[in-house]
Parts: sequence; structure tokens; C-alpha cells
Amino acid sequence: MSQEQDKEQTRPESPAAALINIKNLRKVFKRDETETVVLENFSLEIGKGELITLVGPSGCGKTTILRLIAGLTEPTSGEVTINGKPCTVPGADRGMVFQDFALFPWRSVRKNVEFGLEIAGVPKEERREKAEKYIKLAGLEKFIDARVHELSGGMKQRVGIARALVGHPDVILMDEPFGALDAQTRNIMQVQLLKILEKTDQTIIFVTHSVDEAVFLSDRIIVLTKRPASIIEIIDIPWPRPRDRADPEFTALRKKILTELEEENVMNN
Amino acid sequence: MSTVAGIKYDENNRYHRFARTVVISAISLSLFFLVWWAVSIIAIKPAIPTPLQTWNALVDVYLNGDRMTGISLGKYVSSSMMTFLKGFLLALAVAVPVGLILGYSKLLRDFANPVIEVLRPIAPIAWAPIFILSLGYSTGPILVVFVGIFFPLLTNVVFGVRKIDPNWIDAAKTLGASQLQVFYKVMMPSAIPYVMNGIKIGLGIGWMCIVAAELYATPLGGIGFYLAEQATAGNWPGAYAALVVIAILGLLTIGVADYVHRIISKRMGMAV
Repeated sequence: MSQEQDKEQTRPESPAAALINIKNLRKVFKRDETETVVLENFSLEIGKGELITLVGPSGCGKTTILRLIAGLTEPTSGEVTINGKPCTVPGADRGMVFQDFALFPWRSVRKNVEFGLEIAGVPKEERREKAEKYIKLAGLEKFIDARVHELSGGMKQRVGIARALVGHPDVILMDEPFGALDAQTRNIMQVQLLKILEKTDQTIIFVTHSVDEAVFLSDRIIVLTKRPASIIEIIDIPWPRPRDRADPEFTALRKKILTELEEENVMNN
Repeated sequence: MSTVAGIKYDENNRYHRFARTVVISAISLSLFFLVWWAVSIIAIKPAIPTPLQTWNALVDVYLNGDRMTGISLGKYVSSSMMTFLKGFLLALAVAVPVGLILGYSKLLRDFANPVIEVLRPIAPIAWAPIFILSLGYSTGPILVVFVGIFFPLLTNVVFGVRKIDPNWIDAAKTLGASQLQVFYKVMMPSAIPYVMNGIKIGLGIGWMCIVAAELYATPLGGIGFYLAEQATAGNWPGAYAALVVIAILGLLTIGVADYVHRIISKRMGMAV
């Protein structure tokens, strides 16, 4: 815990600069007599333009944190704010990318990407233009009129990312976006994601249980305990990108986090 | 590759598969006619005409119309089709919106379910005498068809809405969709393949209802009327000819529905 506080103090952003403010979050799932405490006294600040990842054992409540920020579920107590406004309901200012893609199969690639713009009432011509721009950015221009079922897993998720990016949300919440992909595709997608993000100043909160993925992508890694999730450590990674997975510094950090997570598992079993 | 009766058969060749279906269906139907023919010969009952007698009666009614009433076969068929179509459209107009709403709202679903469960087990045909005698010969049969199609359609639409991937709803919400937009931009399109499936099932039941309802609906004709008339007059080959017509119409309707279902499901990106 003291480690966490040290890190907090050395963080460059002051609370005023934070885009997202998570304060004393508590989330309890209740069904009849069974109570499951998923989050307890969870606080975190996320600055604009940051790519942060939440890593932790599966079932530790990472996804719940994302859903709380998205406004898809309500906290039992505590508060999440974005730009000072509470995130109690979902909104287009917080885009989301899902592990199983959640694309609309009755829509073409283009129409999937246009969905949010349609909702926002963007005129047809402008919608087409914007969608095309992001589909190109995702490298899918050849598949613009394809149906979802004609695409590979990696392509599907690129549509998912384009769909989230096109409306310029303040933050994109990515819930194990590459978890359903094979290891090779996963690595390719990580590189592509960073390429896409180079051209935008997009804030990303990324949930994964792959430590390798976290070290490869993040500005900051939040290492979480088992349920109820609390923060073991916050690690800033100022290294330039693209990062070399074989670099000794890279492997050392990965090993350190893996050890932390393993200790966490052993301690609580 | 395997060899059947000296002929090479390749499962991976579409023409071979098609030929296989044709051959097996032909054998199956031939056997059916053979058994029918044998039964009619052995029974020597006028109530079981031979396939040939039935065929002759069918040709006769096709060429000369109903000799007892002077009404043509086309008129009977179109009369049945119209009743069927009206009942079908009515069922569609009611069951789809009601199903969408019941699928969406748990409160309304829980509220409506007891009533639906009480009414559903009543055979649609059981409503026939009540509807026809209280509402008349034209409205009555339409309502019988309506009841027949309504319940399977409703059940499928409700199921379709409830089977929606919750991630689609979450995705729409995080893209800024309101409850109403989630309803008509996500729930409605994703339920369409289930609506089509309900229609397919409903059409089959609908055909049973229309014929049964027309047995009562004497003055207005229809293929069910022709069937009842021929049987009452003891003209068994004529009655069987009516059955053949009913079977063909039913097959056609379901064939069309099946085709439309495939096309739509494909368009909606759902595998059939």
C-alpha cells in the first residue's frame, strides 16, 4: 500500500488535470443472501491522453471498473466522474470495445462504424466521410461493405475499434479487446492499435490479463489484487514505442509484475 | 467417394448430392403411392380411392370445376388464399409489435404470460364454431387463422428479443443510444430472423386452420368447403383431390416462407 502512495505522489498530473476521477468506489453484487464484494474503496485518477491498463487475476473486478466508468452499471457507493460530470448513465463521451466484438451482424462494416454518428444525428454525407476515414485507418477499406460474419476475428475487432473512435469520445474503454484472438493476431493487433492511436490523442483504459500486452502498450499499468480489487502497484512506463518485447528492461518488468500477481494468488488462497 | 448400386457417389459434389436427394425422394414417394394403391385395392372401400381415381378427380375439377356448384377450382383456391392472407396479415400486425414489447419489458411479460398460457393450449380449430357462428362466414375463418398463427409467432418474437446478445445493447448504449433507439435500432432488427421463423411455423398451422374453418363456412366456398361437400356427397375421389390441393398449397406457402427466411437471415448476418 505504501508503494502505491509513493507512486501517487510522484505522478505528474495534479487532480485538477485528471480526465477521469474514480473516488472510493464500492461495488457489491447481491442476489438473495449471497453478497459478492467486487470493489472496495477503489480510487484512481486518469489523465487526458493516457493509455492505462488494468491487469489483475481473472474475476478480480477489472471489467466491473470499466462498466462503472461506462455507466453500464451503478456503484454501490463512491463516484466516477469524467470532466467533472458523474458517469451514472452511458454516453457517447465514453466509447467501449468489447472482448467478443459486439458488432451488429445485420449491418455492414460501414454501417457498424456509422452507428454512433447516426445516433448523434450527423448528416449522411459527413457520416460516410468520417466512417470511411476510420475504416481506412483500421486498414479495412477493402471490406467496407462486407458483413461482419465475413471477417476474421482480428478484422472484427478493428471494426470495433473504428466504431468506438469515430465519434471522438473522451475515453475508450477496452475490455480485453484481444482476448478472443490467437497469440499471433494479438501481437499484430497491439502494434496496429498503437499505430491507430499515434494519429489521435485518445485516452484509453485497457483491461487485460496479459502482462505482456500491458507492458507493450501502457503509459501506466495498474496492477490489481484479487477480488475485491484494490491496487497493488501503479507503474509508469516512459519508454518510447514501439517497444521490443525481447529487451531486458521489458522482460524484467514483465517478470516483476507476474511475480507480484503470483504472490497475490498464493497469499489469498 | 463411395459406390452405391454400382454408381460412384461423391459427397463433396453438389450435383451428386442433389441427384441423391432426387433419387431418394422419388423412391420414397413411389413407395407411398404403392402402399396407398395396395391399401385401396385390398380394402375395396369406396372411402379409399386409388391414386389413379384421385388423379382423375383432380383433373376433372381442374378442367370442369365443381360439378355440384359450378364453382371453379381457381375460385375455391383463391377464396381460401384470401382468407388465409387476411388472417396471416392480422396476426403479423398484432403479434410482432406485441411480441417486441413483451420481449422488451419483463413487467409486461410477467403480466401477460398467465393469460397467454391459459389461451395458448386451446386448439385454434376449437375457436372455429364460435367465431364463425358469432362473427359470420367471412370474418370467422379469418380469426381462426389469426389465432393459429398468432401464438407461434408471438412466442418466437418474444424469444428473439430476449435472445439478443446483451453486449449489442451495451455497445449501442456506449455509442450514445437512448432506450428507444436501442429498441428500434438493435432489438427490432435482431429479432427479424426470429419473426421469420415464427412466420414459418405459423404458416403451417395456419393452413390446418383455414381448411378446418371452411368446413363450417358453407356459403363462401374455399377448398375446405369443397372437401366437405365432396365427402358429404360420397364422392371420395373428389375429397381426396381436395386433400392433394391442400397439400400442394401448404407446401408452396411454406416453401416460399422458407426461402424468404433464408434470404433475410443471410442479409441480417445470421446463419441458418
